[in-house]
Amino acid sequence: MSKSISFCKFNITSKAYILCCFLLILVNQVFAQDNCQRVPLAISYNFKPLLLNDTAYAYKLKHKIKFEVFKFYISKITLIKSNQVVWQEDNSFHLIDIEENDSSALCLEIPEDTEFDAIQFNLGIDSLTNVSGALGGDLDPTKGMYWTWQNGYVNFKLQGTSDLCNNPKNEFEFHLGGYLKPFNNLQHIKLMVSNSNKFSISFNMEQFVNGLDLENINHIMSPSAIATELAQSAAKCFSIK
Amino acid sequence: MIKYFFVLICLVFAQLIEQNDLFDTPKNWPAPFYDFEKNKLTKEKILLGRVLFYDPILSKDSTISCNSCHSPFSAFTHVDHALSHGIHDSVGTRNSPALMNLAWQKKFMWDGAINNLDMQSLAPISHPAEMGSSMNDVVIKLNRNKIYKKLFNNAFKDSIATGEHTLKAIAQFMLTLVSSNSKYDKVMSNKAEFTVQEQNGYQIFKSNCAACHTEPLFTNGEFANNGLPLDSLLHDKGRMRITQKKEDAYQFKVPTLRNIEFSYPYMHDGRFKKLNEVLNHYANGIKKSETLDAKLQNGIVLNSNQKVDLIAFLLTLSDKEFLFDKKFSYPMEEIKTLTLSH
Repeated sequence: MSKSISFCKFNITSKAYILCCFLLILVNQVFAQDNCQRVPLAISYNFKPLLLNDTAYAYKLKHKIKFEVFKFYISKITLIKSNQVVWQEDNSFHLIDIEENDSSALCLEIPEDTEFDAIQFNLGIDSLTNVSGALGGDLDPTKGMYWTWQNGYVNFKLQGTSDLCNNPKNEFEFHLGGYLKPFNNLQHIKLMVSNSNKFSISFNMEQFVNGLDLENINHIMSPSAIATELAQSAAKCFSIK
Repeated sequence: MIKYFFVLICLVFAQLIEQNDLFDTPKNWPAPFYDFEKNKLTKEKILLGRVLFYDPILSKDSTISCNSCHSPFSAFTHVDHALSHGIHDSVGTRNSPALMNLAWQKKFMWDGAINNLDMQSLAPISHPAEMGSSMNDVVIKLNRNKIYKKLFNNAFKDSIATGEHTLKAIAQFMLTLVSSNSKYDKVMSNKAEFTVQEQNGYQIFKSNCAACHTEPLFTNGEFANNGLPLDSLLHDKGRMRITQKKEDAYQFKVPTLRNIEFSYPYMHDGRFKKLNEVLNHYANGIKKSETLDAKLQNGIVLNSNQKVDLIAFLLTLSDKEFLFDKKFSYPMEEIKTLTLSH
């Protein structure tokens, strides 16, 4: 008898508890949105926002280059003050896809009055996440950033065309990734921030493609030493504006 | 306070009982490798996975299901087909593996390309010579289907199919494919006895095969080059494709021997139809190479009596309860109920 009463009580209290939780989540959600600091993410070519598909850019003096797909992962966003971590984003995985509007800025829930002089993040997905099975959100395999013939996330995906590419359709395809040694593709990036209230992260595509040798290397689809080199050079194309 | 604590304990206990009910580690087996914490089994999720397993909706032209190459009566492989088949009558490059006891397996595919069971089904879904689809297309198709809306809602409290949920559900069904009721298992738990011939075969097995095909799973989960002459057409380098290390050339996953009677043809390319051919390979067909497994340098030489005895033992690994378990068959009744209740 006493057991059934306790269950009964539990039910009433649990309903109230669930309601409270719900309200808390709601309040938190509203609060969180207020708290979100938008950090613009600008991908540029020749000092202008990069456009996909029909825009042909002048490339290496007398050549042309067009871009069709550009996606990459930014993860483990951390803020630093005098070499000390002051804030780290929870569940920090962002798929940046130039075709998606919400990729034009990172929405970071940085607590008010957080002082920092540097931002740190990874270009790509860490090895533990790579072996953690099916994941959702930006890590969902429907996002087209997961290799299927083997395991692992594509950290950085760039596809397009250029007359420099010696293949029937003049295509280039760079799927950079790999989490296993010796071809761990993940890149750690640390950038100094002078004005922590207003700053943006930019990626200089022109700098990245100028470093490519499209005549000879235009098709990277698996982890390799070259894929790692290219990821390292991509990491150098980020800066703070 | 104590009352709440008591209720909490009750709830945790109920959860544990349900989990045990859905998945049980057989006695004297090692703990499973799969992390059930990240994908807790429920009846509803297993059912969703089972419906997906038998549904050609996963393939580009809706003609091929998982079951096409993994049928229950052949221990979830493709009987009589050396290489896997796919949409438009295309033929793959490897023999579809038997599916069982996957919770204990660390790496999947003949070359270990897949590191987690959740992600396994992504490979055949996307392979142009298998299902030729993509996770994105699959999810779009599932979201158009009213029965799947219901199944996803029952399983994940969310009627919208996502890649994560689809893959986790298929993994759940595959996890339940546990084969542990063969005659061998019954002998080990003193519920049956080997014949003299089987007993002889068991001794031969233990001294010649068990180093790689380790009990009770009958695989050590490693990769090895077992000296198969290279197929010049397929030119399959096995594990090296994944690790890109020369020392891994021609190494393939050591498969389990459980239900071997029903999972022919054998080897990564299905080149042997009969167990006899396999034993003859180990006796005098091994091709020496730099990566040949150290244990096979001199082959496994057996006389004809020993071969017969060994095969008699291997047949004790057949688990008919597993092969004909209704839990694993096409969920006709369940689908009917869902259709009617709609």
